[in-house]
Amino acid sequence: MTPTSIRSALVALVASTALTGAALADDAKPLAGKTIGITTIRADNQADRLFYQSAIAEVEALGGTVIGLDAQSNDQTQIAHIQTLIAQKPDAVIEILGNLEVLEPWLAKVTEAGIPLFTIDTTSKAAVNVVASDNYGLGSALALQLVNDIGAKGNVLVFNGFYSVPPCRIRYDQFRYVLKDFPEITVIEPELRDVIPNTAQRAYSDVTDMLTKYPNEGDISAVWSCWDVPLIGATQAIDASGRKGIYTYGVDGSPDFLDQVADPESAGGAVVVQQLVEMGKVSARNVAAYLNGETVPPVTFVPGIIVTKKNADEVIPTLPATD
Amino acid sequence: MTLAQTEITLPGPGPGRVRAWTATLSGGDVTRLVALATVALVFIGFAVTTRGFFTSWNILNVIEQSAIPGILALAMALVILTGGSDVQTGGIDLSLAANMGLSAAIFAVALRAGWGEPAALAATLGAGMLVGVVNGLAVVRLGILPLLATLAMSNIVGGLELVLTENTVIPATSPILNVLSAGSFLGLSSLTWVLILVSTLAAVILHASPPGLRLYATGGHPEAARAAGVSVGRLILGSYAVAGFTAAFAAILSVSRLSASSTGTGEMLLSILAAALLGTVFSRRGVPTVAGTLIAVLFIGFLSNGFQLKGLSSNWVSGVQGALILAVVAATALNRRKGG
Repeated sequence: MTPTSIRSALVALVASTALTGAALADDAKPLAGKTIGITTIRADNQADRLFYQSAIAEVEALGGTVIGLDAQSNDQTQIAHIQTLIAQKPDAVIEILGNLEVLEPWLAKVTEAGIPLFTIDTTSKAAVNVVASDNYGLGSALALQLVNDIGAKGNVLVFNGFYSVPPCRIRYDQFRYVLKDFPEITVIEPELRDVIPNTAQRAYSDVTDMLTKYPNEGDISAVWSCWDVPLIGATQAIDASGRKGIYTYGVDGSPDFLDQVADPESAGGAVVVQQLVEMGKVSARNVAAYLNGETVPPVTFVPGIIVTKKNADEVIPTLPATD
Repeated sequence: MTLAQTEITLPGPGPGRVRAWTATLSGGDVTRLVALATVALVFIGFAVTTRGFFTSWNILNVIEQSAIPGILALAMALVILTGGSDVQTGGIDLSLAANMGLSAAIFAVALRAGWGEPAALAATLGAGMLVGVVNGLAVVRLGILPLLATLAMSNIVGGLELVLTENTVIPATSPILNVLSAGSFLGLSSLTWVLILVSTLAAVILHASPPGLRLYATGGHPEAARAAGVSVGRLILGSYAVAGFTAAFAAILSVSRLSASSTGTGEMLLSILAAALLGTVFSRRGVPTVAGTLIAVLFIGFLSNGFQLKGLSSNWVSGVQGALILAVVAATALNRRKGG
């Protein structure tokens, strides 16, 4: 595939996902008299916080009562929260992010207790509906952008610390799937592990170490991550080193990373911006629709918007508001 | 310490009658009554004001959720009562939570590597106990302050866990994990039964057996215990070893609950330390007891649950736990100064 045809494929993909988005503007249903339990693994970075806050705000705007529980990145705590929610017998539960292996048996217990379960970014077989970005589409779009930018050859540093989190798994698998067709691109082994907390700081130091280990121009061409908080640190490390020809790629649209992508002098390469507020809202509206007797599809995909160095000035002003 | 020394007056029908009644109570009794009354008041407060708090399902949940911190707090209590309750120089094991994290990782990694359940269990319990033995040797043989020795060990163990897991979640399944995670008997979950059994065993050993008496003697009056022929060093070493073993045991419960080993286990240290220290307030002599530790663990569990149901951030629970630790340590220091 030539760089030009890759670009055409990207444009087509973004256009097709934008069309899907039009179907989201569903009429909201009232939740008066209903109690909705909302549990999130964390709410301390932009994506998690906006999912959580917008879902709470939308349930309240629809007249419902919220029991909102933030597990602050601790799996043990989230399990306790889910147990607590089951005991409260709410009319529905919305679960946001988390490790699928840990969550699955407990999400099944929500359903066994007769409480309809809705999730954001957790593809669980127990859920009535999962709201997610089209991680298949955006995962391959981001990978193609990377391939395009580095001229389809070079070495790539990859952060892969959260493969057990479903959206990360899908984006990573899509990235690897795309790379299969570009044998001149190599993923540097061992892969890096992104961590929570101190994500950006740790990534800064990891990437600084890797720049020392691979000191020559062309040794590293790109850095990839399934979200963008590690890339804030990674991009800062590359910029601070003065190395050129290395670009960073991720997902979410954290303001600091968007600035780096928009900055022509920075290593920030591209980011797929998720419609975070919309996703929280859509989940709450799906709950309302379901509790009002409507049929809800098993998956609601929300399109992502790709921001690259070239289109940043044009696209960033049009991004959906995050407040 | 007596009431006359502390000049506490309690509300009642008349000052003279109150003094006559309280004159028969020691300072420890009053502290205990006030502590129990506080626990009862907090519980009643949540029950009256918080929707869904006082239901059998919620109460059973909190007890089940208290099983792992409860068992770890009993291990902490054992180390404190054997090493002495002086917070600066006495017994303490700050590596308990991290040890549980490492042990859980060993268990999950061993199962993933295809080890049979017995081998994985043996490796896990052995590793946890080894961490405890190293703690004990550092304290008894090298004379390092327990606070520092176990803090250093906590870092070592936390680092080893990261090396082993690469900071990722490692899924684990096995027959024993299924029984622990899904089993129930007489309406109580497996984890609740494990807490009951471990507490009963601990109570029998500590409060109704000669070894228990020797442990309390070692912590309370080491010189007197030594003079009476008690092997003080060996008992202290043993207490750390048992605590390490218990941390590994709790790790297996944790893996069963999460179907995996997961990072962030070290965060549990604050609640188990708070529970073990707060537990001393419920005993007449101000020493750790099984009942006191359990009341403290459940108190912290209900506090956390009540805060959740009221929609308050769990940061507040951490703050309250920190304040409880400070209050108990301050009260202990104050008592010692008055006693001295």
